[in-house]
Amino acid sequence: MSLSTEIARPEAPPPPNGIDIAGRSPGQLAWARLRRDRVAVISGGVLAFFLLVAILAPLIELAYGIGPYDQFQEKLRRSDGMPLGYAGGISGEHWFGLEPGSGRDIFIRLVYGIRTSLLIAVMAALLTSLIGITLGILAGYLGGWVDAVIGWITDLALALPFLIFALAVMPTVELRFYGPRDEVPTWFRVAVLIGIFATFGWTGMARLVRGQVISLREREFVEAARACGAGLGHMLFRQLLPNLWAPILVSFSLAVPAYVTGEAALSFLNIGIRDPTPDFGVMIFRSIDYLQGDPAYVFFPGITIFALVLAFNLFGDALRDALDPRSAMSARAAPPPGGGVDAAATKDAR
Amino acid sequence: MRNRVAAAFALVLVAGACSETTDDGPSVDQQRTATGVIATDPKDSLGPAPEVLGATKGGTFTVIREVKISHLDPQRVYSFAGLVNAPLYARTLTTWKDDGKGNLTLVGDLAQTPGTNVSNDCKVWEFKVKDGVKFEDGRPITAKEIAYGIARSFDPDLTGGPTYVQEWLADSADYDTKWDFKANKGALPPGLTTPDDKTIRFEFAKAHCDLPFALSLPASAPLPPDKDTGVNLDNQPFSSGPYKITKHTPGVEIVLERNEHWDPATDPVRHQYPDKFVWTFGPDPNAGANRVIADSGPDQSALAFNGVPSALVSQVTGNAALKERSIISPTPTEWRLSINTQRVTDLATRQALNYAIDRDGFIKSIGGETVAAPVTTLMPPATIGYQKYDAYPAGANGNPDKAKELLAGKTPALVLGVGDDVVERGTQLKSNLEKAGFKITLKTIPADAKLDETKKKDNPWDLYLDSWAADWPSGASILPVLFDGRSIKAEGNSNTSYVNDDAINSEFDRVLAMPPADQAPEWAKLDERIMRELAPAVPVYVEVAYYLHGSKAGGVFVSSVFGYPSFVNAFVKQ
Repeated sequence: MSLSTEIARPEAPPPPNGIDIAGRSPGQLAWARLRRDRVAVISGGVLAFFLLVAILAPLIELAYGIGPYDQFQEKLRRSDGMPLGYAGGISGEHWFGLEPGSGRDIFIRLVYGIRTSLLIAVMAALLTSLIGITLGILAGYLGGWVDAVIGWITDLALALPFLIFALAVMPTVELRFYGPRDEVPTWFRVAVLIGIFATFGWTGMARLVRGQVISLREREFVEAARACGAGLGHMLFRQLLPNLWAPILVSFSLAVPAYVTGEAALSFLNIGIRDPTPDFGVMIFRSIDYLQGDPAYVFFPGITIFALVLAFNLFGDALRDALDPRSAMSARAAPPPGGGVDAAATKDAR
Repeated sequence: MRNRVAAAFALVLVAGACSETTDDGPSVDQQRTATGVIATDPKDSLGPAPEVLGATKGGTFTVIREVKISHLDPQRVYSFAGLVNAPLYARTLTTWKDDGKGNLTLVGDLAQTPGTNVSNDCKVWEFKVKDGVKFEDGRPITAKEIAYGIARSFDPDLTGGPTYVQEWLADSADYDTKWDFKANKGALPPGLTTPDDKTIRFEFAKAHCDLPFALSLPASAPLPPDKDTGVNLDNQPFSSGPYKITKHTPGVEIVLERNEHWDPATDPVRHQYPDKFVWTFGPDPNAGANRVIADSGPDQSALAFNGVPSALVSQVTGNAALKERSIISPTPTEWRLSINTQRVTDLATRQALNYAIDRDGFIKSIGGETVAAPVTTLMPPATIGYQKYDAYPAGANGNPDKAKELLAGKTPALVLGVGDDVVERGTQLKSNLEKAGFKITLKTIPADAKLDETKKKDNPWDLYLDSWAADWPSGASILPVLFDGRSIKAEGNSNTSYVNDDAINSEFDRVLAMPPADQAPEWAKLDERIMRELAPAVPVYVEVAYYLHGSKAGGVFVSSVFGYPSFVNAFVKQ
């Protein structure tokens, strides 16, 4: 990542007594600032932990000795299917207890649920960023009719009601590809979910990038490059894009938790992931019914998705502060992190 | 800071862990079977009904339900809520004396006896109307008004009600074209006559021995022609029972108050204890049950009609005061795993499915014994003449080894169709059956279309869950309806196993022609024969009713006929 000299800012720490002056790139500076931020370190650690759990799920299953589909119905009460014992059946064997009714182990299903949710959320965020960056940078730099057309498409995508669209698309696509006797595989539903998120999620990123590019394209370094006869590809991806990484990264890190909760909501509406595939949305919305009867069943998935989303959001905030320290003061005061990105970005452009 | 977080965390864990869940919850009496007779002694049909122990007069009895009752017009009532509500304001030709424990006697209600089989061939029936029965405006109820009530059920605008009597009179499923009610106002449908004010007579082309049962449904309620408001009668029915509707806000509230013209001396089953009955619609099952648990104000004399949701069961059973206010009872609604025999043609495979089923696990997965009780017969235990048997004994959890033995190394690939609102039931069955060597493909069907789709003859699935709740507890309203292959149509089949066996079909004819009292043991024998010879389904469970009422509500019992709370004995403790 090479930022042009234009961006290098005077807030590099003053050389201590003029000794040992080391040249540091803006990236190194941001990294140093990030490491000094305790919130960033903790939330980053939590994120790394969740990522590891997701990646190593099969190994954890091996060590734990119970699979996500194993049922222990003999450990449920006859009268209402509630887990026997204390706090939803927590024991040395079942760390987080058992699901009422099905008798599946909550711990191992959470481990696999993190995997499903993170896979969908990260893939959806990557895809939306890719589409958003490409369209936004083109619209911002080229302007004119390209900007107008992309603007219309953005408005159209924003105007489409997301939930109604998702409700209509899921069964239709299933019917198109699978006959009345074929089971719809989980990977297909995952792919359709990611597709639906990508169709609707790219607009924010596109607008953000477009605004940034418009403010950058009149700068001297852009004009200089243009004067040297640089082609469109060079202009977009060598000159402009490197200046945009900060808001893009922040926006990406805030999009992931939004997709985690979005996917959970869709599962609740029966258009997301379905039982028996382990998934946060399915678990949480199934557990809501047991809030009074078996609070432990609500507690563990709830606290996990809470920690995951909070860690992503805090890390996104900290990342923005580190990449653009001038926004730190105003951003901390700005209420929603999403709005904060834009505020910081416009300030940068001034 | 860290300490406070730890304390909060500990508090949550303690709150969840403070009580141990042990295996001593309530369970339903699974040995209970129905005994039922048709009263032969006219004294059984006389009023007044015996007093309920501890009953007092006065007060308002509240019933809390999530959604409104679909119909109030007696000729259109067919939902369970409607069927248990209708006796409050509508009297019928016959009715069930029910002790809530499965002991049933069919008695005359408006009629002096539950019917006279005039020529002993079930083709001609006569009913004599009691003296002293009156409408809410004080005029007497005669055979004319009862016959008019039956005639108006031919009106195609008055949808939703049962169609037995109409079809039998017209001897055709298209009864409304055979006899046009609107064109013949003032006349009676073919076969229905009123020789005098006290006599009503049915003449059928074919034998219908179940007529006294069919007339216990509210569709045989009387109505004077000048009070017929057509489709508007649904909002304000004209009462012949102990209560009349004084206020009705559709979807919000129904208020029933005493009908002073109702004479207890004519009524063998109903009482008139509370001043008022009030149906309140809106609260979901959790909210309704929580209101009754809280037991404050008018909710003290309330009943939560949606039952105790399984998430609240442990709370109710853990509290002695609540336990006392709960009612648990098996119902006649039976769920079975239907096998589409057009696709699964191999008998051994169908028998293996019966050996493989883990009823215990399935019942736990849907909420335990407060929701369901296992069953191995095609007729529910609440059927008259029921005999318990297990054609494929495999224990409570099934016997995968025995199933594998029958399959002889094959791994049949079967498609299980399941409504997309109950996918968990499908995954439970899938993991259960795959242990026994089946290869199960789970196919979700949109919940609202599931019933119609599985009732199509050429539906593409091999297995699906089906339920049946008979309109009266006789084998005649269960076995021939579900397993007579001659009635299979392109759509709308109740025979969702699509069995068609000549020997069994002729057995149906033989038993249906017998006198009603002699049929009961024959149905039980036939039930077992169908399971052994055809294995057209896997009987899984009967629904269990689990209700909670306020501390001042009394006299409520679960109807042995419908499996829902009956209000004929209800009272408010003073």
